[in-house]
Formats: sequence, structure tokens, C-alpha cells
Amino acid sequence: MRLLLIEDDDILGEGLRDFLSADGHSVDWCRTLREVSGYHGEPYDALLVDWQLPDGSGLDWLRGRRLSRDATPALMLTARDLLSDRIRGLDSGADDYLVKPFAPEELLARLRAVCRRSAGVAAGRLSFGEVDIDLAGRSAWRDGQRVALTAREWAVLEALVLRAGRIVPKDDVERLVVGFDSELASNAIEVHIFGLRRKLGREIIETVRGLGYRVGKPT
Amino acid sequence: MNPLPSIQARLARALLVWSLVWSLAVALAVWLAVQQQVEDLLDDSLQSAAELLKEPLMAEDAALPAESGGPDAAGSGELADDADGGFAWQVVQYSPADAADVLFSSATAPTVAWRLAPTTGFSDGAGWRVFGTRLADDGRFLYVGQTRDERNEVQIEVALSVAAATLSIGLLAHFWLRARVRYELLPVQRLAERLAAHDPIASGRSLGLAECEELQPMHAAIDTLADRLAHRLAQERAFTAHAAHALRTPLAGIDAQLAVALRESPPALQPRLQRVRSAAGRLQRVVSALLTLFRSGVELQRQTIDPAALVTRLAIEGLTVELAETQPISADPDLLAAALLNLLDNALRNGAQRLLLSTPGRDCLRLHDDGPGVAPERLQQLQAAISAQTYEGNTGLGLMLADLIARAHGGQLVLPLVERGFAVELQLG
Repeated sequence: MRLLLIEDDDILGEGLRDFLSADGHSVDWCRTLREVSGYHGEPYDALLVDWQLPDGSGLDWLRGRRLSRDATPALMLTARDLLSDRIRGLDSGADDYLVKPFAPEELLARLRAVCRRSAGVAAGRLSFGEVDIDLAGRSAWRDGQRVALTAREWAVLEALVLRAGRIVPKDDVERLVVGFDSELASNAIEVHIFGLRRKLGREIIETVRGLGYRVGKPT
Repeated sequence: MNPLPSIQARLARALLVWSLVWSLAVALAVWLAVQQQVEDLLDDSLQSAAELLKEPLMAEDAALPAESGGPDAAGSGELADDADGGFAWQVVQYSPADAADVLFSSATAPTVAWRLAPTTGFSDGAGWRVFGTRLADDGRFLYVGQTRDERNEVQIEVALSVAAATLSIGLLAHFWLRARVRYELLPVQRLAERLAAHDPIASGRSLGLAECEELQPMHAAIDTLADRLAHRLAQERAFTAHAAHALRTPLAGIDAQLAVALRESPPALQPRLQRVRSAAGRLQRVVSALLTLFRSGVELQRQTIDPAALVTRLAIEGLTVELAETQPISADPDLLAAALLNLLDNALRNGAQRLLLSTPGRDCLRLHDDGPGVAPERLQQLQAAISAQTYEGNTGLGLMLADLIARAHGGQLVLPLVERGFAVELQLG
């Protein structure tokens, strides 16, 4: 998943970035809202937002994104633990609310849960014909046989599965997996799509000519 | 504990004493004031009796022989047997040789003349009050007397009547004043009821005008106190928010860094890092509990909680929590979680591997672990320290926090004596 982490504390921000990266996610870490503006328009699978930032409120920033019809799943990370704060955070557009201190493993589990919910997926395991995909375990099976995927192939598959039924433009797929390969070749996505089709079957990813790629039936 | 002195009871007692004293004082004053008038009235009646008796005696004078037994009852019957009025009479003949002979007298009169020398008007003597009047120029005098006892009896009757009347008025006044005191103290009772439901911090309202002038200073003092409290609370909230941010964020950072270090470190280093992470986790729990407790004083938010669901969220590595059949309890979920985390942490650090959680009573959680426990004497010391809230140097932080949280709910922590292991009961009100 491609994640935008907004956290001003160096120790926590660095720790989370490294932990999430080690789990195979691409993390853009910003310490201020000014830095965030440099990532405007980038597609993300989820946003991790600290409430209190040096140059403003992460909650207000998130509210602004929701007003501009951005539905990217968002987790609020904050030291504010009052019931009224939690209600305010969730009412302002956060999909989940995590009070510091928290274990990064819990953050990861909640991240998967909000992304699943956002994709309209009830369980962590999905089926597309003869292919089963376990988002939590980062595993795929074809006809019951586990299939080994590279990190980049998994990133492409995850980006599409989390948007199952929707057409994802090739540019968005590229930007969602960027970070895994900073020097992504111009045909890198096609190469990963080819690899996925070879391992999971041609039907798993549909090419919508001129628009992008789609996993699952159109919604 | 001795009951507190009651204004109403004290006023009632004072009123009763004063009613009695007032009644007696008024009775005495009235008696002293009317004593002379009563004496005069008795003298008037004595004189009237003499006048009444004189006329028939003078009319019969010529017909009566000197040795006669005297006029019969038909002539002067009203006085002849007037034992009830205490009147008696004598007709005394004075001779030139200074002899005083009682010619005739009533039955109750003495046989010796009251006066040895002719006397007119009132005079006192030997237990009698006597009125004398001349009957004729031949030296005969009529004396009508009344015993001193009879006169005293009348005086006492008057005094008792006055005393009874004033006592009745005093007692009536006592009961009326007592009822009035109770009525006048009602605003104090209503103020207490209002205060019981008054939350100036939550409502932001003052008590407003008092029902009576005497209570207004109390209203003003309570409002001032509430203002100071609100100010202090706002400061504490601001401090807590800052402290929460300053403490929670680095703790989360430490945990995140340790999680990464655990993944990246060589296997030989991992157990050591895992221990550091466990210690950091314990620090997190304590800090969270302290922060929660620090801000809990004013906003206890009781909810119905399923203990089983709560414990599932609070899993601690190395300690297996088993659930007996539990019933829902009413508690603040954050505070209860903080208390439980610290008690579970306590159990783990004291060598327990399994812990049974049950609800032995209403809003009561019991945690019984399989650790080595403590000796009964030590258990008594711990319980005494908890009951007296003398935690410092006597109990660990976990028990102290759990007790403070139980007390915030209106209950307290109890350490029951168990055969094996260590048990704690969180009684939440």
C-alpha cells in the first residue's frame, strides 16, 4: 500500500515509516502540513494523520480533504484520548482513531481493516474465480496452491484488489507502487501485470483499453 | 460516631427551657402584682360580712338576754356556719374593769375574745385576720374573723391559676415556635438538595439568588468556590493535554523504533530488545493509567461493560486470562482498562501465568492469579494501607492505581484471603 504519514515527531515518524516499509508498504512521511502540500494529487491507499502538527491541525486538514470529496481511508494518530476528542476525530472524517502510545502492529492491523472496509471487503481473504487473496497475510493462492509473488507484483495486485471493480489508470498504479522502485521503467507496470497474469491466470487482471486495469467485476 | 449537633434540636430544647422559665417568671410576677389586691379583696369580703351580720344583731339586740346563746341561724345563718369561707364571729362585751366577755360567737370562733380591748377596723392575731365594729354604746363589739390559712389558700389558688395559664401559653408558644423553626430551616434543607444536584463545572451555572438573606453569603461562597474550581480544572486539563502529548508521543516512538529494531536485529540481540519492548509497554500502561486517572476526577463516564470483551482487548503476553461466567458491570471503560492493565501487569511481574477473572457481585471484578501470593500478615498490611490510602512505601503503583480508580467509582480495592495465589477485587461502587 502507498501511505501518507503526517507526523512531526522524528522518533515516532521514522519508526513508523521504517516499520511500515519493512512490511512492504510505500510510505511518504511529512512532518508538517506544508510538506504535505508537495504531495498534492498523489493517490494513496491510506492516510496516517497526527492531530497536532507544528503548522496546523491534522484534523482540519483531513476535514478539508473530505470536503473536496477525497475518500482515502484515514487513521488519526493522536495523544488526545478524551471521549469527546475521539468522537470529534471520527466525525471529522477519520475512519479510525488510534491513541498514542500504540503498538505499530496494531496500527498495521487497523490500517488493513480500514482499507478493507473502504474497498467494501468484509473479510481479509478475497476470491476472484480460482484465485484467493489474503490481504492480511500478503499471500495469494491459485487453485488452492500458494503462489509466490515478488514485492512489486504484490504491490500492484494489492493496489488493484483494494479498488476491486473499479478501473485504475496505469499512472495511478505506477504512483501507488512507487517507492519500491524509484527508477521505475516506463514499461515496469506492464511487466508486473504480465508476471501476475502468468502466475494467477490471465483473467485475474482485466485491461480496459485506454483507461487502465481492473480486478473483479465492474461495480 | 456521635451524631452532629442539630440546630433544630438545640433550638427546640432552648425554647422548651425558656417556655418553662418564662411561664414561672410571669406567674411569679403576676402573683406578686395581685397579692395585695387579693388581700384587699379578702378584707373587703371580711368587712362586708361584718356589715351583714351587724344589722340583724342590732335589730335583735333588745330582745336578747345577755346570757343567751346568741342569735340563731335564721338571723345570721349565712355566717354562723360559714366554715367554707373560713369566717367566724364573736360579740364581745367590754366592762369598765377591762374585762372582755364573749357574749356569743359562731361555732368556729374561739371562746376567748380576739381582742382584749375594744378595737375597730382590721387587725391580725393568732392565726386570724379580724375586723371589729361597735355594736352599741354599751361596750359590745362585733368581730368577724377569717383564718390566716384560709387566706393563704386563696392566695395559692390565685398563684396556681396564674401559673397554669402562663404555662399553657408558654407551651403553646413553644410548639408554635418549634414548628416555625422547622419551617425557617427548610431553605437550608432545600439548599442542600440543590447542591447535591448542582454541578457548576458541567452546567457553568451559578446557584443564583438565595431563598433568604442569611443564605446569600453561602450562595456567594459556593459560587466563588466553583469559579476557583473551574479555573483550576481548566489549568489541569490544559496541563494534562500537554503532558499527554509530551509523554504519549515519545512512548509511541520508542515502541515503533523497538519494533523496527526487533525486525532488523540479529537473533542474538532479539531477546534483549524484546525485554526492552516489554518494559516500554509497561511504562506505556502506567503512563496511560496516570494520565487517565489525572483527568478522570470530573468526568467519570460509566457505561455497561462486558468484562470478557474488555479483557480480550487487554491481552498481556505471558499471562493467560481465563474467564468465569461474568455479568456486565457499570464502569468508566478507560479507567477500568487502566486499572485492569496494571493489575494484570502486577500479576505477570509477580510470577503468575494464569489468571481467573470473575464478577462475584454487582459492579465487582475479581482477579485471582496462580502466582506465589503473599503471606496473610503481608496481605493484612497491604489491605490496611489501601483502606487508609497510605500507599507510599506500602503498596506498589499497580495496586495504588487500581484502588484510586475503584475509589473514583465510589468503591475501593479489596484483597481477599485466598488459599493459593493472589486475589484482588475491584469494587466499583
